[in-house]
Amino acid sequence: MSNNLKKGGDEAEFAKPLYVPIKRRSFFMYAGATAGATALLLSGCDDDDNGGGGMPAGTVSLGSGDVGVLNYAYALEQLEAAFYAQIVATPYASMPADEKAALTAIAKHEEIHREFFKAAITAVAPSMVIPGLTPDFSKINFNDRASVLGAAKTFEDLGVGAYNGAGKLIKDKGYLLLAGKIVSVEARHAAYIRDLITPGSFAGNDVVNAAGLDQALDVPTVLTAAQTYIKEKINGDNVGK
Amino acid sequence: MNILKLVADLAATTPNQFEQPADRRDALTSLGRFGAKTLAAALPLGLGSVPALARDTRTILDSLLLALRLERLQNAFYTQALTAPASFFPADTSIRASIVKMQAHQQQHAALLVRLISTSNGDVPAQPRYDFTGSKNNTQAALFPSVFTNFDDFLTLAQLLEDTSVRAYKAMVEFLVQDNYILQTALQIHSTESRHATRIRMIRRQRGATVKPWPSPADADITVANKTAVVYATEHATTQLLADYTSVPFRLLPIGSGANILTESVPEAFDEPLAADSVEGLLNLFTL
Repeated sequence: MSNNLKKGGDEAEFAKPLYVPIKRRSFFMYAGATAGATALLLSGCDDDDNGGGGMPAGTVSLGSGDVGVLNYAYALEQLEAAFYAQIVATPYASMPADEKAALTAIAKHEEIHREFFKAAITAVAPSMVIPGLTPDFSKINFNDRASVLGAAKTFEDLGVGAYNGAGKLIKDKGYLLLAGKIVSVEARHAAYIRDLITPGSFAGNDVVNAAGLDQALDVPTVLTAAQTYIKEKINGDNVGK
Repeated sequence: MNILKLVADLAATTPNQFEQPADRRDALTSLGRFGAKTLAAALPLGLGSVPALARDTRTILDSLLLALRLERLQNAFYTQALTAPASFFPADTSIRASIVKMQAHQQQHAALLVRLISTSNGDVPAQPRYDFTGSKNNTQAALFPSVFTNFDDFLTLAQLLEDTSVRAYKAMVEFLVQDNYILQTALQIHSTESRHATRIRMIRRQRGATVKPWPSPADADITVANKTAVVYATEHATTQLLADYTSVPFRLLPIGSGANILTESVPEAFDEPLAADSVEGLLNLFTL
């Protein structure tokens, strides 16, 4: 668990290959004859790279623009990864083997999502990556299956709604596709957890409306719900702006 | 960045690209194709997947029409299954109830798409007819001869269609960015289809199939080469690209170790898009 919200340290090692100058330089070499056009293409990558200070201590600002959306996703994935890591570390009594295997797989997915977003932000705006957040799971009883699965359902449905609502805030099509690659996995998690609780509740009327549409939640709604489980105060006022 | 990319493509485009008379959509299409070619030439790093964003230049209407084809086909599929005698369904009543729910959603999606197409001044195509055995009314060998008499065969096709839907919408969203309402609607349908797919997968798993709640390299192959194989083609990708076209160095990230992390957990953690022509190819197998 302590492994899952690790700050610093690990960053240097994996982030390095992403921006050591030689990498960029060789990229232009490969670009060959159209290097000029490619340089123009790439020059847009760093424009979100401005500082995010001015917040009171203990407050984490997600920042603005696409980087803000990526940090928003990174914050939610940190929360989910820490939650499932805790389930795997302290499984509730008599957890069936199949359930344990699936929850362990989900823990891996969320950990991968978390590190993926950290790498994605680091690649374009290293100074804007939010720090590792401190989870507060004091309201969840990890010894009790109903408490754990109830919280899992909340987190997964919240994640799906967050991504669905954030799509329109994303300006870059590449990031939009990446969010799409992840949101459907979160929806699969949500359906799985829901069916563990009540078979057939995979797309209940509480999340999918009468037009057959899964929920889309705005940033303040999601952060208000997520804040209960995060010690730092998260400020998402400029996400996507 | 998108604007800069467009400018880059324009700068590399020869003037005669614009000389032929063409309506707006044709012009966009040829520009898109040229853009893809230019990028491919600029990036000889074997990054076949890089120009994917520029390769296809579908309009919002194209995407809505494809979505309608998908939803109508799935609606017809579940509707036909629900006319089967009670003995077709397992004793667990939550299973038939789930099929009822999915059918209702597909019908709702189709109705919504018809409205969106109409209000965009598009022509709503006639309702197609289907043969879910894949035999095209007995003119060729059937892919699913017992689809409405053998529940496991029905579930297999249901999974293929739902997973295809998820991939189709995922590929579509990038063509919808000009319209926030349609984009969000597509995303909301997308995750609903994903929930359906997982329910079908869980029912199959309970019935003994080797399948996870999400697409996994560990799933038993349920596809037929050159027919349904497209459904999971490129789905189990082990790499993801960042904005600067570098691959995410998963092996260096603190995501734990173990033989299956990079080959199983990573591909499970990301669902992949499926290009429109592949989706159409799959739908054509069952459309008369």
